[in-house]
Formats: sequence, structure tokens, C-alpha cells
Amino acid sequence: MGSLSSLKGKLVLLKGTLEKLVEIIFAIIVGFVIAGLMMYMGGFDPIKAYAAMFETSLSLTDPYYIAMTLSFATPVMLTALTFAIGVRAGLFNIGAEGQMYMGALGAVIVASWTLPGPLYLPLAFIVGSLLAAAWGLIAGLLKVLRGVNEVVSTIMLNWIAFWIVEYARVYVYPNPIDASKTISMPPPGRLPLLIRGTELSVSFIIAIITVFIVYYLLWHMVLGYEIRATGLNPTAARYGGINPKKTMLWAFIIGGIAAGLAGVSEITGRPPSYAITTGLSNLFGYGFDGIAVSLIGANHPLGIIPAAIFIGALSAGSRGMQTTAGVPLEMVKAVQGIIVWALAMPGLIRLIRRRMIRRRGVEL
Amino acid sequence: MRKLYKAISTSALAAIFIVLIIVVGIAAYYAGTMAGAPTTITQTVTQTVTSTVTVTTTVAASPTPTTTPSPTTTPSPSPTTTPSPSPTPTYKPPRKKIAVVYDIGGRGDLSFNDMAYLGGSRAAKDFGLELVEVQSKTEADYLPNLRSLARTGEYLVIVAVGFLMTDAVKQVADEYPDQLFAIIDGYIPDKPNVLSVLFKEHEGSALVGALAGMVAHYFNCSAVGVVLGMEIPVLYKFEAGYYWGIRYGEEIYKEYTGKEIKPLNVLWTYTGAFNDPARGKTATEAQLAQGACIVYNVAGATGLGIFEAVEEAGKAQGRDMGPPFAIGVDSDQDWIKPGFIIASMMKRVDVGVYTAVQRALDYYAGKLDKYGGVLELGLKEGGVGISKLEDLETFLAIAEQAGRKVNKTEIIEKVKKMRESIPAWIWEEVDKLAEKLKTTPDVAVWGLKFSDIEKMIPLDANEIKQIREKLGVPAG
Repeated sequence: MGSLSSLKGKLVLLKGTLEKLVEIIFAIIVGFVIAGLMMYMGGFDPIKAYAAMFETSLSLTDPYYIAMTLSFATPVMLTALTFAIGVRAGLFNIGAEGQMYMGALGAVIVASWTLPGPLYLPLAFIVGSLLAAAWGLIAGLLKVLRGVNEVVSTIMLNWIAFWIVEYARVYVYPNPIDASKTISMPPPGRLPLLIRGTELSVSFIIAIITVFIVYYLLWHMVLGYEIRATGLNPTAARYGGINPKKTMLWAFIIGGIAAGLAGVSEITGRPPSYAITTGLSNLFGYGFDGIAVSLIGANHPLGIIPAAIFIGALSAGSRGMQTTAGVPLEMVKAVQGIIVWALAMPGLIRLIRRRMIRRRGVEL
Repeated sequence: MRKLYKAISTSALAAIFIVLIIVVGIAAYYAGTMAGAPTTITQTVTQTVTSTVTVTTTVAASPTPTTTPSPTTTPSPSPTTTPSPSPTPTYKPPRKKIAVVYDIGGRGDLSFNDMAYLGGSRAAKDFGLELVEVQSKTEADYLPNLRSLARTGEYLVIVAVGFLMTDAVKQVADEYPDQLFAIIDGYIPDKPNVLSVLFKEHEGSALVGALAGMVAHYFNCSAVGVVLGMEIPVLYKFEAGYYWGIRYGEEIYKEYTGKEIKPLNVLWTYTGAFNDPARGKTATEAQLAQGACIVYNVAGATGLGIFEAVEEAGKAQGRDMGPPFAIGVDSDQDWIKPGFIIASMMKRVDVGVYTAVQRALDYYAGKLDKYGGVLELGLKEGGVGISKLEDLETFLAIAEQAGRKVNKTEIIEKVKKMRESIPAWIWEEVDKLAEKLKTTPDVAVWGLKFSDIEKMIPLDANEIKQIREKLGVPAG
């Protein structure tokens, strides 16, 4: 009997995965068709554009483009974790952007120190992720102590972080040779490249490991269980002896660390500048892209990996679309936007629906 | 099955939503074309599709160029001068494409990047090459953009437009020694396959500075200002030249009118962005409130907000003509808000790009033994200058091609009227200064020779501080 019920459980699981797969395929088709129609109306050849996009992102004949795809997937994979952990704890934490800036700032602070070579990397990761976690904790404390909505506080904190880091770039850590960026991470503090002549560095492996750690934490550790329980129903979780405030704070801290790692890995692992550039132009947007990645990946750490690679492929493929198919970047961005929308939409609707149901439940 | 149905219905809902957005977008677009203001996307579309046509029509529309100077040797009066004599139809270059890589600001700024496009498309047409454009979304795109172009081996020359790409060009130039590169505004002197195209922005800025200094006193203003983009060393050259020019203009004004004058208060603001008109507008409003009546745009597309702020301030006082005035940059921007843009500091990025392509062709043809090096374009070479009324027609034609509906005769009338409202001697003095700077840049004001500024270039943060201090500009 036991074996039968476990078989039944497996079947249910299989059916769930299948449904999810059908949904994703359907969304991809819808996204590509609509974006293709838009390109066609704009006077471009959508087939040629899509072919060029895949050629310069996922083409198996040229490892350079695959490396580029993975390098663009790295930061969004980490910032997606921030959002995913938040969702699991019942939070709408969109502060990955600002937390990532703080992580990058931490790495630059370490770069400004005179240290023995091997110390740069570990210290950059420690200082960066601590700074980012502290930044996430501000929103967490506001939520837990004063009941401030985390959507509002994280959006505002993102901009505060932007200007703090921009201030530090101009006045505290400017590059003496080139005022458009901060001091660069010295060579011993840079992550080695996985393939020479590409942008893909060890930071990709760090991101993958982080994803698995978060997965293990969420599904195989007590804290993760508490986070998920709080997210599903905080009242029931409290009844079950869980302190939802404490777990929410942990969700903010862990999310902050993940976003901080994204910032640090951009500074230590992205050639050629290894610094924060003017207007934070080498960081801007990864935090928000992470939200889309998380939604596409069903807010599940293991779903985030393919989702991030998909977004990375879109970023990498924008080159081919411009050079081979002659589609201007504005149109490329619109196409990417539509595809990401189509993919993230089901997850977003589900998330909102669940929130509404819960709110109604609370009112009752 | 119910779940499967639910999943599909959710996706369908999403699809309907997106279709709705697109329908609204298209409706907005058509509404926009009716009103004569197409959206950014369609602008680019038309530009790309009609790129070859653009060049032909502008050549046809250009005001009768009598000479055919090559941009390297002689200053060309308009960007659409007829093709230079060097392209020989018998010689076929081995690589048939040229690439122009823009930095984050990108096309549509009606200045720096659009000028680069203009030069690229002119070169492509004149030399029978194909122009490929690539824009960058973030700083992280520079290296992949350059590498993916270089590794194809199809490009005669890859032109990186903008100082910010310096590091990336350095690295990729080492990895692909057989590929020729050019960088606009970046300084890479020591690579055989990189041509660094620099402009003497300080010369052109000194001219508009002198104009600002004289005009401000003429209208009894207490201050003049400059609104800048991101703080990069290239902009220090604009600043230094402008400040020097203001003080020079004041001296001349004193001499000419015999009046005792109080030195102008000089305001400057770095907005931190080249693509944010809203920030440009706020910064300008602040300067206008502090008494500035002339604001110099050194901010790319951010500058479009400067023009708006100046026009609004003028119209609020019931004027259809400055003061207050703005000063345009890079291209001749006098037409954008006619009557409120007194002149433009033209930085002929198009000449730079065109020259780089020509040099690459000459190198492949064996006419040159060395491609790399530093090419400096100043007043003498026609690389910088102050806009004249005659330039207007040419740039209006470009604007029309970029999808702007412009009423040519009305604009030219308005700009002419505005120029005539300023005494002719002021314009003459500006021209005299241009001649002076071409030959003897040893002119000194406030104890600072123009050649001293020249010697300090490339300027760093400390040197610009010194220059500001010397010319009585507040430290910020």
C-alpha cells in the first residue's frame, strides 16, 4: 500500500511539472509571436532577428557566445534569489537593486585597502555581502518593528543606495587616472576567467553554488521551513510556534547577502574595468531583471538557474539582432520586454491572486 | 485537467494583456505621426531603413558646396560637403563593413551620437561600404559588443563612440591585432591598430564662452552657467575653455564699451547623466533662478531639458526670444528651440568618424604605413567651431530625416532675428577670437594664457580645480 501511495505522489508531482512546462512553452510561444509581429510591423525580418539572436547567445558552434550568455546570467541569478526568498517568506522584496549597489561598494572599499594579495577576494565578498545584508535589514526592521510596507521602503532604499554609492564613487573612491569610475580591484583580487578571451569568470560558479545553498536552506533546514511556513500563512506559523518576525528578518538578510554577492561578483569578475563606473552604469538594472528571472523561475531556486540563463541569452543575443538583422537596440529592448512579460505574467498573476485571497481571508 | 486549463487560461490572460498594450502603443504611434511627433522606436526605424536615402537627400539639399575639401585637411563648412576626392572606384577594400558602436546614451540625442552616425553613414556611402550600428545597454555591453564584431573579421574599422569605452577598446585591440579600431574622445596613443580621435573642445568652448560673457553683460545679467553630463575628463576641456572664454569676453566688452563691469558669477552643475532630460531641466531651472541668463549644454540628450527650461523661462516672461539663452553642443542645435539657443559649439564627431574610416582605407590600400596614433581636431582642422546661420539649413535637413517635422523658413527667420538682436560687433569679436586661437593661442586673461590650458590637457580633477580657481569660478 505504501508503495502505491508514493507512486501516486510521484504521479501528482509529475503532473504538476508537466503543467508548469506546458505553461512555460505556451508563454514562450506567445511572447515570441507577439514580439515577432511587432518587429514585422516595424519593418524588420523577425525570423532573421530570432536566428541572429540565438546565433549570438546559445549557438553550440561558438563557445564565446555561450560564455557571454552565462556571464550575463550570473548577476541576475543572484538578484533573483533575493526576490525568490522574499516571496517564500510572504514578502515582496524588490530591494535587490540597492542591496547589489551596496555589495559592489563593499568590494570597492576593500579594493581601496592595501592588503596582501590573497586577502582581497575573501574580504571583498565578506564586506560586500555584509553591507548588502545590512541594507536589506533596514527594510526588514522597518517592516517588522513599524509595519512599513516593504515594497515602498525597498524602492526608496534603492535610490538612497544609488546616491550613496554614486557619492562614494565621485568623492570617496574616485580613480585618480579616470574620474568616470572608482578605483579598480587590484589584479590579485579579481576572479579568474573560466575561458580566456571571454567575460565569463568564476563568479558564475559562485552564483550556481549560492543557488544550491539557498535551495538546501529553504527545503532542508529548519530556518527554510520556518520561512516557507511564514510565507504560506503567518498566523498559522505563529500558532505552530514560529516567530514570523524573526523569519522575515532572516529572509531580508539572506536576500541581501545574495544581492550583495551579485554586486561583489560584478566588481571582482567583470572585465575590463573591475570598478563601479559613472552613473553605476555597469550595475544598473540587474536587481530589477532579477525580479523577472525569479518570476519566470517560479520563485524556486532551481527554476532560477534556467530562467537566468534564458535572460542572459536574451541580453547576449541583442548583439546579433543589431549587427546581423539590423534591428536597433530600442526595438531589441521592446522585444525582450515582451518575451519576459509573457513569461513572467503567469507567475505574477498567481502571486497577486494568492495575495488577494489571503487578504480576503484575513478580513473574514 | 482543471489545473492545466487554469495554467493555460492564465497565460492566455497574459497574452491578451500584452496584445492590449501593443494595440495601445500602435494607436499612440499613429496618433503621434498625425501630430507630427513619432515615438523613439519608429524614429530609429525610419532612420535605419532610410539610412542610404538620408545621405543622398541631404547631399541634394545641402547649400551648394563649391569646394570639395577632404575633412582631414581643410575645415569643411557643412557636414554634407560632396564626397572627398580620395575614394578610388578601382580599389576594392578587403573588408566591406564598418561598425559604429555607441555607448549608453545612444542614438536620438540630436548631438554627439547622431553626429557619429552621420559621419559613419556618409563614409559608408562615399566609399561603398556597409554601415553596422551597435548600441550598448549597460557598461557591461562594451566588451561583448567590440569582441563580437572583431571576431567576425568582416569589419574594415570598428569605431567606438565615446570616452567610456576606452578600457574595452584597449583590451580588445590587444586580443585582435589585425582589426583596426578608432575611438572618439578616448586617448589610446600606443597601439598600432587604434586611432584615437580627440577634439579641441576647449577651443570651441572658448568661443561660445566669449559670446556668453559679452551677451550676458549686454543684457545686464549677473551670471552665466553650464550644465554638464557625467563627470569625465573630456568635459573638463569644455569647462576650462568656457570659463576662459567668459573672462575673455568680459575683457573685450569692457574695452569696447568703456564701462566698468562686475565679473559674472559662473555656475556649473554635473547632472551625472547624458540621457536624462528631466535632470537637465531641473539643473537649468536652478541656475536660472540664481540669475544666469545663458546656460551652456554639455550634456548630450540631457541637454534637451536645458533647452526646454530656457524656453519656458523666456516664455513665462512673455518673450519669444531670449534672454535667457542656451548654448547648443556637438551639432548645430540652434533649430531645436529657435530664438532661445544663441549658438552651438559644434564638435564635428562626424568628421572624426569619417576621417577614421578614410584612414583605415588608406592604410589597407598601402597609402599609409601606420594606422594608429592620435588625431586631434581643432578649430584649424574644422573639428570644432561655433555655429553660423548658414549651418542651419544643413542640420535642419538632418533633423527632418530623423523624423522631426520642422518648418524651415520659419526657424531660419527666427534664428536670424535672434542673431540680429545681438550687436554685430559681438559676433565679429567671436570670429576674431577664432582666428586668434588658430594662430597665436598665447592670449592671456586673468593671468591665464590659453596655451597654458592647452598644455595641461589631458586635464584631471585637480587641474580643473586650479583652472576654476584662477578664473574666479566657485569650487562647487
